[in-house]
Amino acid sequence: MINRALLPAGGGENMLHCTDMTVLERQRARIKWQQEQQQQFQLQQQEISYFTELADVFHQAGVHEGGLSEVVTRSVKPDPGLVDNGWNNDHVVGYGVGLPYNNGLGFELNYGAISRTSSCPPEAVAAVAEATVKGSESVVSDMISSGAGRESSKKRKVDKAVAEEDTRDKRIKGCAEQGESKITEKNNNKNSRNNNTNKNSNSNKENSDETSKDNSKVSEVQKPDYIHVRARRGQATDSHSLAERVRREKISERMKYLQDLVPGCDKITGKAGMLDEIINYVQSLQRQVEFLSMKLAAANPRLDFNVDNLFAKEAFPACSINFPTIGMSSDMTNPAYLQFNPAQQQLVACCGLDMGIDPPDMALKRTTSAPVSIPETFLDSSCFTQTHPPPTWDADLQNLYNVAFDQGRQTSFQTQPFTGSIEASNLKMEM
Amino acid sequence: MSILERKKAIKLSADIALASTRAGRTCWSRAIIADASKDDDGKVLVQHLLSPESERLKKASTGLAMENKRVRCKKILKRSCCIKRVRKGASKVVLAKSISKRIVKRRTQVLKSLVPGGEFMDDISLIEETLDYMVSLRAQVDVMRRSLAKATEVVNGCAEYANKDEGIEEYNLYVREHDYMRKLMGNLYLIHRIE
Repeated sequence: MINRALLPAGGGENMLHCTDMTVLERQRARIKWQQEQQQQFQLQQQEISYFTELADVFHQAGVHEGGLSEVVTRSVKPDPGLVDNGWNNDHVVGYGVGLPYNNGLGFELNYGAISRTSSCPPEAVAAVAEATVKGSESVVSDMISSGAGRESSKKRKVDKAVAEEDTRDKRIKGCAEQGESKITEKNNNKNSRNNNTNKNSNSNKENSDETSKDNSKVSEVQKPDYIHVRARRGQATDSHSLAERVRREKISERMKYLQDLVPGCDKITGKAGMLDEIINYVQSLQRQVEFLSMKLAAANPRLDFNVDNLFAKEAFPACSINFPTIGMSSDMTNPAYLQFNPAQQQLVACCGLDMGIDPPDMALKRTTSAPVSIPETFLDSSCFTQTHPPPTWDADLQNLYNVAFDQGRQTSFQTQPFTGSIEASNLKMEM
Repeated sequence: MSILERKKAIKLSADIALASTRAGRTCWSRAIIADASKDDDGKVLVQHLLSPESERLKKASTGLAMENKRVRCKKILKRSCCIKRVRKGASKVVLAKSISKRIVKRRTQVLKSLVPGGEFMDDISLIEETLDYMVSLRAQVDVMRRSLAKATEVVNGCAEYANKDEGIEEYNLYVREHDYMRKLMGNLYLIHRIE
């Protein structure tokens, strides 16, 4: 893909005679860049003190280190990577691979590099330090920052026109800054980035309108937060489709993270299926919360709860009493929540009868009717045998979750609000 | 308090605690707090739970309500002006694409209804919020399960409920749970006091 119109022409050279020119140009660029690096690195020595501190903070942060350091290395690495490996189509290869990442030294170097290119290092450092000290950097922002760093550095500004060295330098700096800006809290930069995408897409359009040989168009105005997007070979380059492609890539990036989070989603490709799984998972989690809060409500005030006496007298039909009425008399509450073997059998029978009903809801109905000490393995449709109390909570909720998950294929597009009335009616149904 | 009321209070306080762990930074947390502050009992809880923390958080959540109204109005306007083009005689590929688009759209709407405060966000931020919300929900479930185990242990005197040590893989989840657990415990006592 060397023939593409990316060549760093030194002076309006012919695009087509690529290889030799490219190599030479690359070498030149590389040396120049290295020189720049050296100069700036010396200038910014004092910044390293900031970063030793930061490195300490990060040492404590454990896992966070991984994601953030990746961003860091990536933000530095692109330049030699770019220059050496040429413009690979989709990936800037060599990211973080060649650079031996050393906790102590690596951080300092990398942060030094970042500070060089960034517009506001102390603030960034402060922001990051604050974030990590709070210890509340989420998985999400970690992953996203590392991923998005990768993502933005993949994108390069495109021109049908010749890409000059100067613009490439600007691009490199822009990329590094992008990498750096991802380290700070993502949400802060989000809006500005969105604005910049628009700005950038407009400027893309301008560039493609102008004729190519524009060496003198060294845009001195360094707009630091541009997202540079490259049009792939054989694809449209107008601003709309570019912006759309950026958006699509962002979405797919984030879907990948979701795939890691949601269990059992590695085989599913495509937005629709993934969304389905996500919806099921979130619904099941929310139901679990409801269920657990109900259990807690039952368990909490009744700390002097004597299990054995209370349901010995009451028969299973006690469960048919509606919840609101149960609340009224304290004697009644207990049997509703307790279960004993005959009750189990009966419920099991109900289970067999009611299989036609939407199973996850059914499972939940059953569980809300007897939250405390249910051996809930009876919910598993495969085994209708009695199980012995006491259950393990793992099994409880795991089964609940499994049932909901496996059989949640039939997604109802309305989540039922689990209000008291629904639960009451469910209880009636079970009888 | 009856069972249901208690359950609602527990759930509400749990949600508020959960939201406060991600205080201010995520949209769903602000939405939860904003919703909770609307009715009376919610307001009480919010004030109790969040008063040590920022005033600005509450302001942020109130600001959110205004913003959401604006977004909603804009969307209504947009939808009324938009004309849907129906292609006739389209090829199978195009047809399949349009069908899948419709499916995706419908499912994103469902997801928006699930995630608190989700209706006013665009796709990208919706997915981010979902991610965060999912992790928080898992933490919530975990914490509640543990506290329930402890509670029933006290009740039944059985030690077997007590030690439910599922390995928590992610550091973040653990940190969040810790934070969250503290708050939830506090909330539960608070509820008893309020009753």
